[in-house]
Amino acid sequence: MSQSSLSILLLGALGLVGIGVGGLVLSRNLYRLVLALAVAETGGNLLLVLAGFRPGAAAPIIEPGRAVAAMVDPVPQAMVLTSIVIGVGVQAFALGLAIRARAAYGSLDMDELRGRMEADIDAEAGAPPAASQHAPAIARLAGQPEAKP
Amino acid sequence: MNPSVVALVVALPLLAAFLLPLVPGSARRVVGPLVLLVLTGIGMRLWDVASVAPVVLAVGDFLPPLGIVFYVDSVAALFVLAVALLCLLFWPWAGEGEHLDRKQSLTLILAAACGGLAVSGDLFNVYVFYELAAVASYGLAAGGRGAAGQVATFRYVILGSLGSLLALFGITLVYFMTGTVNLAHLAELAPKALVGVPGLAAFLLILLGLGVKAELFLVNAWAPEVYATAETRVSALLAGLVSKLALLVLVRLLVLVFPLPGTHEALLVLGLLGMLTGELAAYKARDVRRMLAWSSIGQLGAAFMAFSVPGDAGLVAGIAIALHHMLVKPALFLLAGRWGGSLGRIAGAARRSPLGAVLFVLFALSLLGVPPLPGFWAKYLLLSGLAGQPGGLWWLGGLVVLLTTVVEAVYLFRVIGALYSRDEGSVAADQSATAVAGSGMLAAVLLVIALSAPVLAGTLDRMAVQMGDVDGYVTRVLTPPAPAVPIGVAP
Repeated sequence: MSQSSLSILLLGALGLVGIGVGGLVLSRNLYRLVLALAVAETGGNLLLVLAGFRPGAAAPIIEPGRAVAAMVDPVPQAMVLTSIVIGVGVQAFALGLAIRARAAYGSLDMDELRGRMEADIDAEAGAPPAASQHAPAIARLAGQPEAKP
Repeated sequence: MNPSVVALVVALPLLAAFLLPLVPGSARRVVGPLVLLVLTGIGMRLWDVASVAPVVLAVGDFLPPLGIVFYVDSVAALFVLAVALLCLLFWPWAGEGEHLDRKQSLTLILAAACGGLAVSGDLFNVYVFYELAAVASYGLAAGGRGAAGQVATFRYVILGSLGSLLALFGITLVYFMTGTVNLAHLAELAPKALVGVPGLAAFLLILLGLGVKAELFLVNAWAPEVYATAETRVSALLAGLVSKLALLVLVRLLVLVFPLPGTHEALLVLGLLGMLTGELAAYKARDVRRMLAWSSIGQLGAAFMAFSVPGDAGLVAGIAIALHHMLVKPALFLLAGRWGGSLGRIAGAARRSPLGAVLFVLFALSLLGVPPLPGFWAKYLLLSGLAGQPGGLWWLGGLVVLLTTVVEAVYLFRVIGALYSRDEGSVAADQSATAVAGSGMLAAVLLVIALSAPVLAGTLDRMAVQMGDVDGYVTRVLTPPAPAVPIGVAP
């Protein structure tokens, strides 16, 4: 593989990470968040493989009767294997949680879910619900006094 | 002592976690506590040995830098002991059937991962154990209160995975620049290979990545949500134990691999901001549980600030703060199990459970740093460490510590005031017997430490010196061991 195609791969990996992280920051939908995470992790894994790449080297397999030629570095490949497995497991778990959250609150929208979660936490703690930043000032002031349980 | 024992720190709880569901009948319930008791024994033995000289184990006799290394100095040994004891203290006893099996398995996995983080001697193993701890804590956190717990855990998983990705990036960068992930080998190569902007970038990536678990500023948004929704047992473990292990790993990396200009300042600034935001948010929190969560972010900020002080002074202060917080915060979370709500909910609670209230006051005072208690010495060491640095940012850090102590005093005394208020129509719950017993044990340890402070100061110094000894680390790990002694010949 030539130097230019290597740099294309490198740019591609960085681009994937950028897309993924951008998605994590910008998305509100839980499913898209998981997808963005998957894209970012793929980019990270690709980068890791490239860290061990040697131009013109063979796969790191030693066979009897074959001369030991220049090989790509096997250590990052072992690491990537680990990281892929962990990534898949965590994504599956996150999807499971998303399904549970949707079953309970009927929404996949992060902002809404977060608001409902905060309200639940407040209610359980017996604290007055936090005044929303989007609520009119009157409502916010009305919500201020200490609620006596 | 045979160094192979070190491998049991990881292997034993991991094996037990996966074999637990296969154990028949009532024996299943004793497996976990038994394993943790054995782990406690191993921890004590390691502490004895490691306070003389660190123990090094090359797993499977594959020699470093290629093989996997476990390195136990006295700090690591103490953390192994703490992992076993805290997991035992917060062991899930109650529950039924399969659900309880899962909780117990996850707690054992958490113990294995935390032990692994304490003893791990290479960067990639650190990553694997960190992920293991992360997955176990996701599972434990998801077992929390209803749907709010699921949402909080989802947010935690996303932030945690992003952190893992950043850490993996950092590790890739380190590997790319040096061609090794063994910490001793890295310590040898770092002064030449890990320099300049790429070195600093690698440090910052790993810092932010592992900082998710250590509740570092910028990546700690998950903490109040998860601690408010998870079981108090889990909150205590996450805030008390897992955060300290992530911190320990970061400090090891700082000492061994990244003695670059700029890394200490980065740690100081992030710690300072963490302490400031954490304590101010704790002041604004309207219920005890979230107040404790934010205060734990503040305390970890203090620990980061302590470790940012170069040299042994910083290590002494940092270890002191981390150990103190590891003792105090779990106890407070334990008491917050019943008293976690708003101030109105706990008004007059002291009359119902006087002992519980006294324990709460004791821990709150130590957290604040009232003189005879250990918290005072931790803060004193931090302040003198910061003051010993040449001005500027470090003195600003000292100022922030003093200011936030005032804030801490306000919100802690607000809770104490509520506990002891003469509220006739009190709706406060009685403190549970297990919480009082558990936090009582931690209080006993706290008081013993307070009484034997002069003796412990020497121990602390020795621990810090051992942890800061980079040359010793490199020599011990990379020097091939003496030829094996034939069986039957006493060494």
